[in-house]
Amino acid sequence: MQREVGTLPLAPALRARLAAAGFQTAQELLDTGPCGLSKEIGISREEALEALQVVRQECQGDAARTAGGSGATRKCTALELLEEEQTQGFIITFCSALDNILGGGVQLTKITEICGAPGVGKTQLCMQLAVDVQIPECFGGVAGEAVFIDTEGSFMVDRVVDIAAACVQHCHLIAEAQQEEDLRKALETFSLENILSHIYYFRCRDYTELLAQVYLLPEFLSEHSKVRLVVIDGIAFPFRHDFEDLSLRTRLLNGLAQQLIIIANDHKSAVVLTNQMTTRIGQSQSTLVPALGESWGHAATVRLILHWDNSQRLATLYKSPSQKESTIAYHITSHGFRDVQPPAVTHSTEGTELNPRKRPRTEEGKQ
Amino acid sequence: MVVLRAGLCPGLTEDMIQLLRANGIRTVVDFVSSDLEDVAQKCSLSYKALVAVRRVLLAQFSAFPANGADLYEELKSSTAILPTGSPSLDQLLDSGLYTGDVTELMGAPGSGKTQVCLGIAASVSLGLKQHVLFLDSTGGFTASRLYQMLRAQTEDEEEQAILGRLRLCFVLQLEALRRIQVVRVFNIYELLRALQELRDRLSQQVVSSMGPLKMVLLDSVSAVIYPLLGGRQSEGLALMMQLSRELKTLAREFSLAVVVTNQVTRDSSTGPLKPALGRSWSFVPSTRVLLESREATWEKATTQRAASLVKSPRQPTGIQVELDLG
Repeated sequence: MQREVGTLPLAPALRARLAAAGFQTAQELLDTGPCGLSKEIGISREEALEALQVVRQECQGDAARTAGGSGATRKCTALELLEEEQTQGFIITFCSALDNILGGGVQLTKITEICGAPGVGKTQLCMQLAVDVQIPECFGGVAGEAVFIDTEGSFMVDRVVDIAAACVQHCHLIAEAQQEEDLRKALETFSLENILSHIYYFRCRDYTELLAQVYLLPEFLSEHSKVRLVVIDGIAFPFRHDFEDLSLRTRLLNGLAQQLIIIANDHKSAVVLTNQMTTRIGQSQSTLVPALGESWGHAATVRLILHWDNSQRLATLYKSPSQKESTIAYHITSHGFRDVQPPAVTHSTEGTELNPRKRPRTEEGKQ
Repeated sequence: MVVLRAGLCPGLTEDMIQLLRANGIRTVVDFVSSDLEDVAQKCSLSYKALVAVRRVLLAQFSAFPANGADLYEELKSSTAILPTGSPSLDQLLDSGLYTGDVTELMGAPGSGKTQVCLGIAASVSLGLKQHVLFLDSTGGFTASRLYQMLRAQTEDEEEQAILGRLRLCFVLQLEALRRIQVVRVFNIYELLRALQELRDRLSQQVVSSMGPLKMVLLDSVSAVIYPLLGGRQSEGLALMMQLSRELKTLAREFSLAVVVTNQVTRDSSTGPLKPALGRSWSFVPSTRVLLESREATWEKATTQRAASLVKSPRQPTGIQVELDLG
C-alpha cells in the first residue's frame, strides 16, 4: 500500500500538515494510528480518525481490486466491452438518414451534443428523443424513461403530445402490418398518457440551479432505474450571460461534463445536450462555431451540428468516435423529426437515383 | 523527508528517537545533515552507534550515480520501439513510440486523438501481441470502432479469404481484444488509484490476466485535471504534478510507453491554438504531436488530418505528415 499521501483525497490544509510532518506513504499514516497522528500534526482526535477512515477506504479499495476485483470497478477488457456494445440499443430519431450517420441512433453511455443556430430544430429533436426512448423493445427501442432539464423554457407540452401521438400511430401501423401477439401486447402500455407520465421535467433558471440539479441527478436515477435518456436543453444559456470570471466558467463546465459522463456510464443512459452557436471573427471571414469555447468541445463524445442551407435544414456529424463525418438533410413536420421526402418523379435524373424500383419515364419513353 | 521511526534501520531504537526528537532532529534529512559529534554530546548517545545508523540511512535513502556506459547498455537492452500502426506517424516519431517516454497527442475537438489512440492500441495488441492498458476519462472508447480497425489490419495481411484463414483472422482479433484492458476513470483520484494499482501489480509481477504490459494510453488527461485548475487554490497544480510523476516513474521503471492526449485552447477568441494545462504540464511529455484537420471550418467533412511534431528529443520540430483516419 505504497500510496503517496499527496494522492489521497484529503483536505489541502491537512495534506500540507502531513507533508510538513514528514509522512510520505499511506502505510505510515495507518501505522501511526489516530492518537499518534493527532499529536504529531496538531489536529483533534476526531479529525485524525476521519482522515484515517478515508485513507483506509482508499487502500482497502486498492487491495480488493488487486485481489481480483469487485463488480463496482469500471475495469474490463475490450472484448467484454465489444459484447456489451453490441447488445446495447440505440435511441432512434425517426429520421433514418440521421440514424444512419449516427451509427443506429443516439448511443447510450455517451454524451451527444446538438449545436445549432436559433430555430433550426434542436428542441424539436430533444422532444422527439424523449418520446422515442420509450418505444418498447419489440419495436426496436430501448423502453426507457426520460429526464428533461429545461433552462430556456422552450419545452411545449402540446408539441410533445403531437409527436407522441404520431409515434404511437406509427407503432400501431407496424403492429397491424405484422400481426404479432407480443407487438400488440406491448402497445397496450405504449399510450399517450404513459409516454407523457414517463418524461420527468425539471426547470432550472440559472447555473447554480443547473449544477445543483446535475449533482442530485444520480440519486434520482437510482430511484428511477428505467431512465435511459437525460436531456439538458440549453446548456449554453445559463453560462453565457453575465459570467464575469471566465476561468471559473471553464472549471464549472468541465466539472459538469465529468459528472455527466459518470451519470451516462453508471446508469447506462444517453445524455443529450443542446448548445448555441457564436460567431468567430477571423482575419478575412467570420464563421459560426459552437458556443462555450474550445475546452467545452472536448466534453461531448458525439457532436452534431444543425444548420441551414437556403431553406433546407442540414445535420452534420462533426465529432464521433466511431462514425465518419457526413451531412444529411432532414425535415420537421407536424409529426416531428422526419426524413426529407424524395422529390417527385417528374425530375427524371433524380428519380433514377432515389427510387430504383420505379423505372424512370425517359427509359419507358424509349422502349 | 521521512520521519525517523523505530525499526527504520537496525541501530535505531525508540529511546534514541525520543532523545533525538528532544533535540530537534525529526527526519532523516535532519539526522544526516547534522554534526554527529555535537549530537552525541547533547543526546548522550554513543558516537559509533550514530555513525553506523547514518551509514545505513544513507545507503537506504540516497540515489546512486551510474556511469554513462552502464546507462547506455541498460537503455539498449530495455528500451523498445513500438510501431503505431500508421507509417507516416511512425516516421514523425522516429520509427515509433519509445518505451520509457511519455508522448502527448494534442488537438482540437474532432481532430482524431481518440482515433489515433485506438489505432495504436490495435497495432500494439495485434502486431506485437503485447498487453495494453487504456485509461478512458471521456467515455470516448468505442469497442466497435477498435474491432473495425483490428479487422482492417488483419485483413490487410491476409489476402486470400479461405475459410480456415477467416477463422484464424477472427481468433487473432478476439485475442487482440482480450489483451486490451480498459479502465474508466472519471476524476483525478480514481486515475491516481488506477495508476497505483498498476504499479502494485507490476512490481509484484503477478502473472495473471495482465501479461507483459508495454503500453499505457490515457485519453484524456485534461478532462480530469481541468476541473481542478484555476482559481486561487494551488491544489490542482499539486495533483497535476503528482500525476505527472506517477506517469514518468511508471514509464521509466517498468519500461512502458505512455501516451497521453490533451486539449488545445486559445488565449482569446482570435489567438493561436496552444496546448491546454499550461506551462507546468508542457515539461512532462518528452514528445508532443499536434493533430489538425485540413479544413478550417466544420462545413467540409474529411478524414484527412495533419500531424506536426511540436516537441521531440530526437527529431527536429516542425515536421508535418498527413494522416488518414480511415
